Amino acid sequence: MSEYIVEMKHITKRFPGIVANDDVSIGIKKGEIFALLGENGAGKSTLMSMLSGMYEPDEGEIYIRGEKVQISSPNHAANLNIGMVHQHFKLVEDYTITENIILGIEPIKKFAGLFPYVGIRGANRKIEELSKKFGLEVDPTKKIADLTVSMQQRVEILKVLYREAEILIFDEPTAVLTPQEIDFLLAIIEGLRNSGKTIILITHKLEEIKRVADRCAVLNKGKLIDVLDVETTSVNLMAQLMVGREVNFESEKTPAQFKEEVLKVEQLTVKNEDGFEVVKDVSFTIHSGEIFAIAGVADNGQVEIADAIAGLIKASGGKIFLNGQDITNDSIRNRTESGISYIPEDRQKFGLFLDFDLSTNLGSKQYYKKPFSNKGILNKQEFDQFGTQLIEKYDIRSGQGIKTQVRSMSGGNQQKAIIAREIELQSPLMIFVQPTRGVDIGAIENIHRMMIEQRDQGKAILLVSLELDEIMNVADTIGVIYNGQLQKVASSDSLTTNEVGEYMMGAKHE
Amino acid sequence: MDTIIIDGLSFALPLFIMAIGGIYSEKSGITNLALEGFQGFGAFIGAMSAVLIANASGAAVENMFYVALIFAMIGGMGFSVIHAVLSIKFKANQVISGVVINILALALTTFLTTQINALVFGAASDKFRLGVSERFTIDGLANIPVIGAVFTDVYPFEVIIIVIAIFAWYVLYKTKFGLRLRASGENPQSVDAAGVNVYKIRFSAVLISGMLSGLAGMCFAYSISAQFSSGIYMGYGFLAIAALIFGNWRILPTLAACLLFGFAKSGGMYIAQAMALPSSFTDLFMILPYVLTLLLLIFFSKTNRAPRALGEIYDKGKR
Repeated sequence: MSEYIVEMKHITKRFPGIVANDDVSIGIKKGEIFALLGENGAGKSTLMSMLSGMYEPDEGEIYIRGEKVQISSPNHAANLNIGMVHQHFKLVEDYTITENIILGIEPIKKFAGLFPYVGIRGANRKIEELSKKFGLEVDPTKKIADLTVSMQQRVEILKVLYREAEILIFDEPTAVLTPQEIDFLLAIIEGLRNSGKTIILITHKLEEIKRVADRCAVLNKGKLIDVLDVETTSVNLMAQLMVGREVNFESEKTPAQFKEEVLKVEQLTVKNEDGFEVVKDVSFTIHSGEIFAIAGVADNGQVEIADAIAGLIKASGGKIFLNGQDITNDSIRNRTESGISYIPEDRQKFGLFLDFDLSTNLGSKQYYKKPFSNKGILNKQEFDQFGTQLIEKYDIRSGQGIKTQVRSMSGGNQQKAIIAREIELQSPLMIFVQPTRGVDIGAIENIHRMMIEQRDQGKAILLVSLELDEIMNVADTIGVIYNGQLQKVASSDSLTTNEVGEYMMGAKHE
Repeated sequence: MDTIIIDGLSFALPLFIMAIGGIYSEKSGITNLALEGFQGFGAFIGAMSAVLIANASGAAVENMFYVALIFAMIGGMGFSVIHAVLSIKFKANQVISGVVINILALALTTFLTTQINALVFGAASDKFRLGVSERFTIDGLANIPVIGAVFTDVYPFEVIIIVIAIFAWYVLYKTKFGLRLRASGENPQSVDAAGVNVYKIRFSAVLISGMLSGLAGMCFAYSISAQFSSGIYMGYGFLAIAALIFGNWRILPTLAACLLFGFAKSGGMYIAQAMALPSSFTDLFMILPYVLTLLLLIFFSKTNRAPRALGEIYDKGKR
């Protein structure tokens, strides 16, 4: 009985239309890192929301330290020493770290024994101590607006520690972090465990589980598949259980067949808003049937290259040719018409109308043309028909088919919808910027397969990615960018991962 | 010169306290265009109470100022419940709610004033005559050149307003209520996640704005107007909103903006009188504060930052 600090027994939670958790039972031991693994929509977050007091289960029981509890609110969870580090931070940007942490449980002092006030200074000191104790390295008097994403996450961690949490739930904590920041965070999580805290880690990244977790529960479509001992289980098996089938980490690819030249970029230079040159004198070509990948550490100008080709930002120097035609100063629509498909980095901001339905989104690049509209009047039927076709063809999953509000779809399916829309344009050039960011393994595999398919059909593909594995996996030609300049352009067979890494850091020169 | 300062202050300070009410409401995230209606309705309740109590007790209406002030605060607060319920409970559009409340206040108070006058005094007048509240001068300080004017012919309400303003600053920036209130206007989700009820905080903030607006309206009625009539709806509420926006939703800069408006108004009057212009021209000078508003907008709009969640309807369920 007392072996477990948290026990969830036969938990079932239903939402309209779906069963988010179906008879799930797990037990978590004190002082372990317990991982919850599953694809997007597998029910991990829902399960933990019931532990943190956001929802109550429809069926089943929760025991904390052997006692049966009904957790009715986040406050109640905090009283049971359960704290959740949310994926989307809940911070007031204009407030200092301390003000954010004490919000809701402010320490009160009295001025002249009469006027109560919030004791900020004492709280500053307490938070600084906490920060030191767990190696979080934050300055409590700094404003949130001045902090990096990873710092803000540490503030969220401090928030739950300040509330004396013993059981900490991390919801996809590494989704927004760079590799170095991930290392730092995982070290913090291990430190927390070593000081006796119990950690629940919600994630779909297998490497992280392998690195820090002790045990791991795998969920698929709301059902508990298995609870595994991490040390003795292979990554492949975990992936298989999570997706429910075998996963290929390496995409199958036939040798590339380069044909005619599609895109030619000549001495491209791009300035940012401050007039600073972020892309300097970059030249390359992409052929029909070629996947050209730009590798590099974030913010080295790779996204600007893609944006300049698509027309989202202006080139300040150099020329861009598409099928031999100079498009350097063309409007975005002209570029689309002459054959560019673009899958943007931020799919929610630039790729979709989140509050429109799926069929509208799928038709949104062709709405002005026949048969989608005639003399300026939209033909709704045509959109619906087109949408139904694409959903079928690309296996886009959603709650209500073409009528689904895109906001309610999972990240992987949103991305599928964008790719479907862009492929249907039949453009000779397709630009993918970070196409697999924030989507799960099953979807990644799918996206890679689609890219290679398009290549084999004779498209020219420009891939911008921060994931070196992805680049090594799908690219035919690799251009490595550092500080706005292409350091090296070579066929992917002639480069090793290490070499590319060195060029990315600017360490190796030709 | 002295009259500019004396009249300017007695106009600027009620404007200031009303603007503080607006700051409370907007810092909590509720757009408040209803200040105009709150101050009018508050002044109506205050004036009505003063007139009725004076009538029943036989005292002079001029001496009922403090009674009127308390009733005006209650009245303004009561009226502001409409805005709070509409925009918080029923999640109505806050701009529309504010505008409707202003129209409602004007119509309702004019109608009720006439009815009450007809019923109690037998004359269907559309105004309550109040007179001007007594004023005082601090002898020693009043003799200092220029600054002395600040201590000359002071309305008691000016002192009351300054005390309340200091208290309002203390509550907003030093207490936990203030910390939570300001956070509600920036990121209500974070307040909710901290286990604090956003709705309650916003509700109290709107009620505070109603109370302070009622106070301001009463001060106007007992000074520059010397009566309660539909003339109370001169756009003072909107001027207070302009002041708090120029003041960047902060109390001290808002005071500066209010003083500027006050002196522009009294200065304009002074110029009009000094030039001995016919009364139709004085109206032209009366628009000075509003012209100033337009000019200031050009300069301040770029640097100002409104509370992030201002006007956003907060729905707990939405992520």
